Formats: sequence, C-alpha cells, structure tokens
Amino acid sequence: MTTEELDPLIHVPTRLKIVATLAALPDGDGLSFTRLQDMIGLTPGNLIIHLRKLEEAGYLSSEKSKNGTAPKVTTVALTTQGRKALTTYTQALRDLLGGL
Amino acid sequence: MNHTPDPAFAESSGSFDPKQAAALLDQTTLQARRSFTSGPPLLWVYRAAFVLVAFGGYWLDVRHRNPYSAPSGGLLAVIFTLVAINIGVSFWLLKRASTGVSGPAQSKKRTWIALMLPVWVIAFAVTAPLYHASASHPTWGLYPANAPLMIVGLVAAGTAALIKDWQIVCTMLAIAIAATVAGFGGPAGAWLILGIEMCAVCLGTAAFKFSQRHRSAVRP
Repeated sequence: MTTEELDPLIHVPTRLKIVATLAALPDGDGLSFTRLQDMIGLTPGNLIIHLRKLEEAGYLSSEKSKNGTAPKVTTVALTTQGRKALTTYTQALRDLLGGL
Repeated sequence: MNHTPDPAFAESSGSFDPKQAAALLDQTTLQARRSFTSGPPLLWVYRAAFVLVAFGGYWLDVRHRNPYSAPSGGLLAVIFTLVAINIGVSFWLLKRASTGVSGPAQSKKRTWIALMLPVWVIAFAVTAPLYHASASHPTWGLYPANAPLMIVGLVAAGTAALIKDWQIVCTMLAIAIAATVAGFGGPAGAWLILGIEMCAVCLGTAAFKFSQRHRSAVRP
C-alpha cells in the first residue's frame, strides 16, 4: 500500500482534524460552526473551504437553524459515509504503518 | 457560511507523512474527546475522595454514639460544601461540553439529566418525613445510608439503558449494588462500607474513562 491510496479528501491536516473532531461526537450529533472553528483554530474562510469539499463528497452535512430573533446557527455533522471514510482511512494508515 | 474564504490556506497537504497523520489523528481525537466529555476522570477522582470523606466522616462521627442520630454540624457543613462543589463543577463541565453540540444523542442526554434531578432530590428528601414520622430505629438508621443510592442507582441504570448509554448503566448498577451491600454493615458500619464501596466505584469509573479517552484512534 502507498500513501497515494489514502483518501485525498481526508489526508490533509486540516480536513483530518475536522473529520476526527466530528467523529468524536455520537453518531447523528452535530457541532456548531463557531465551536468547530474554535477547536480547529482556523479563520472562518479557511474552514468553509474545507467544509465545502467534505460536504461535496458527502462526508458531512450542514444545516442552518434560526431560533426567533437569534442569529442563524450553522451546524455541521459527519454523515454515515463520512464515518465509513474515516474508518477506511484509519485502516489504511494502520496498514501503511505496519500495524503500529 | 457566508464568510470570504482565503485560498492561500485552502489546501495544505504538502508532504503529509502517514506517521504525522497518525499522530495528528490521535492528538485531535484525544482533544475532541476531552472537549466533549462532561464527566472527565478527574471529576470522578474528586467524587471518590468526596464520598470517602463524607461517608467515612459520618461513620467516624456516629460510631461511638447513638448511630440513629444526625452527625455533627461541622461534618454536615463539610458534606454540604463538597456536594455543592460537585454539583457546581458537574454543571459547569456539562455546559462546556455541550456548547454548540446538537442532535439526538445530546437531546436524550439532556432528557435523562432532567429526569434524574428530581429522582436525586426525592430519594434524599424522603429522609426528612421519615425522621419526623418517628420511623423505627432500623428504618431510620438504614434508610439514609442505603435507600437513596439504591433508588437513584436503579432508576438511573434503567433509564440509561433506554438511551443505550452502557457506561452509565454499569456505574449506576455498581452504585445500587454497593448501597445494598452496605446495608449489611448495620446503622453505623453501613456508612463506612458505603464510603469504601462508593470510592472504589468512582475510582473504577475514573480509570475506565481515562482508558477510553486515551485509547488510540489508529491502533486497534
């Protein structure tokens, strides 16, 4: 197995951090954009670029909600496909590193 | 998501080594688990010390006198202070962990907590009417040490099973069993047995949570 076989969508430091952070939540739960931004330590613009790529691949879903007069809250969550992709990526890493 | 993206940072894979990726995955997972946990191992270590001091102190206070009496005011003040710290820190950690998190698991957890709050209050509040109703010595002597934690433990385990939180189920069943066993220690001895057992349950939970948090995301 070679590094090229690792999922290129996840095998980028920032996106790996995003996916790993969201995977720590129970299945189906999501995280607000602002909290994710705080945890990853990116500017909103940079985070959006990575989130869009993951969303386009079907790895995560985003939802905008509004409660009364409060500002809209964007929530992102890892999809079942995203969890499977991370599991596959982790297994590939394990194989590459010889079972560690 | 209407912010302006900065293309300079959009892609930064470069030569991302698998070893670096594995380390980053482990590190990020650990940080995320720490961030989303409302009951960290350290809180359970505090609870272990708290139950040992509270129940052990109660036993020291009543063992050489009438065990069917309330403990000294000084000990009660210490116990109430420790309880207040436990409640305050628990709610602060819960708020910190759940900020920005939403979804079915989060809703179930909130419902479970809302259900358990009155159960805790009712289980301990019953001791007051028992005292005023001049309950028999065995009842009065054993109820406060055993029954509240048996009730809370069983109700919490049953309701946690409904939301499939098996870690809470195990901890709460252990608490209910510990409270039942402590009853065999008699009115004074029950407090000491309960203190030791509860301390062991809390330390066991702390060790389990620590191992779960630090288990590698990459290594099987």
